Amino acid sequence: MNISWGDVRQDLARAHNQAIATLSRPGTWWTGAQRRELAMTAQMANNEREPVAPWVGVSTIANKLPVSLAAPKIAHDAIYRISRHAATLTREWYEKVTAEINPLAFIELCGIACTIAPVMAFRRALGLPALEIGSAESGQPSNQKPENIVTAQLNWVPVVGPADQVAAVVQAFTAVPETNRVIWAMADAQYIPDKEMVDPNWTRGTLSRVQMELIATRVSQQRECFY
Amino acid sequence: MLSWSGNEQGIEIEWTSVREATGGANVKFARELLDFATASTELDDSALFSAREALVKTAGVGLTIDAAAVIANFEMMTRLADSTGARMPEEVVVQRLGVATAMGVDQATSRR
Repeated sequence: MNISWGDVRQDLARAHNQAIATLSRPGTWWTGAQRRELAMTAQMANNEREPVAPWVGVSTIANKLPVSLAAPKIAHDAIYRISRHAATLTREWYEKVTAEINPLAFIELCGIACTIAPVMAFRRALGLPALEIGSAESGQPSNQKPENIVTAQLNWVPVVGPADQVAAVVQAFTAVPETNRVIWAMADAQYIPDKEMVDPNWTRGTLSRVQMELIATRVSQQRECFY
Repeated sequence: MLSWSGNEQGIEIEWTSVREATGGANVKFARELLDFATASTELDDSALFSAREALVKTAGVGLTIDAAAVIANFEMMTRLADSTGARMPEEVVVQRLGVATAMGVDQATSRR
């Protein structure tokens, strides 16, 4: 049986469409051209049947990336590895990357990988048409930086303080508010609205909470995600 | 969260079934949901087609779409957690060690 976009909840379709639109717009630390280019590298990483090994930078392999790049090679290497080999990431790797990329730009880059992954996964799971990323929009990044950025114990990325008062995944993107907003709008539509999280009986009328958590556990196991 | 939601609903989760993805687990449509989640995270189009068809036939289109949305969410959250170095406080790790071991975290290829 074919499933079409007409069958998909409107709030979910809207959350995905809004997130996709941000991929080619200027962000907080990257231009629209850079964001689009990084998103396409993430898309490639998720699609490849024979991926580049985690310890090899995709930028070092001939003909994988465009000859002329808007974003630095290390950003492409990082987003490829996050997209395809996230379970292999280490603090040492993070420190190496952020020696060359501003940590806040790194957070935005993670946000791009975290936008591409669910959009692609949802479409593929349901047999919907593959994602096409729109043309890059001109303009400069906003460089919006919250005032109280601090070091956290529960993440290697900096967060908006006070740190470690909420779960690590909740505070992870707070230092880049626009990335944080996009990701949690998707989570609300894909999984459970934030305010319902503590209710074990909450349902949209399809999956029960325990069924949702069974799926979540299996995906996390497949991705070897310890968190 | 699976353990917590199961407890809250009076369901005792069979961890071996979840770990081995063999169905059961005392959860309705577990077999079909686990097969769909597994196939969605791998690049075998034919296995995914079969798993999706089986879930649609058993549980309907609406539930299948919401299952795909949850799969999508955890494709997002696993990357979010791993790329930002997210970890749990020590006391939570200790609390969850039993379930984590039952799920075979000590045998994950990426952590060997």
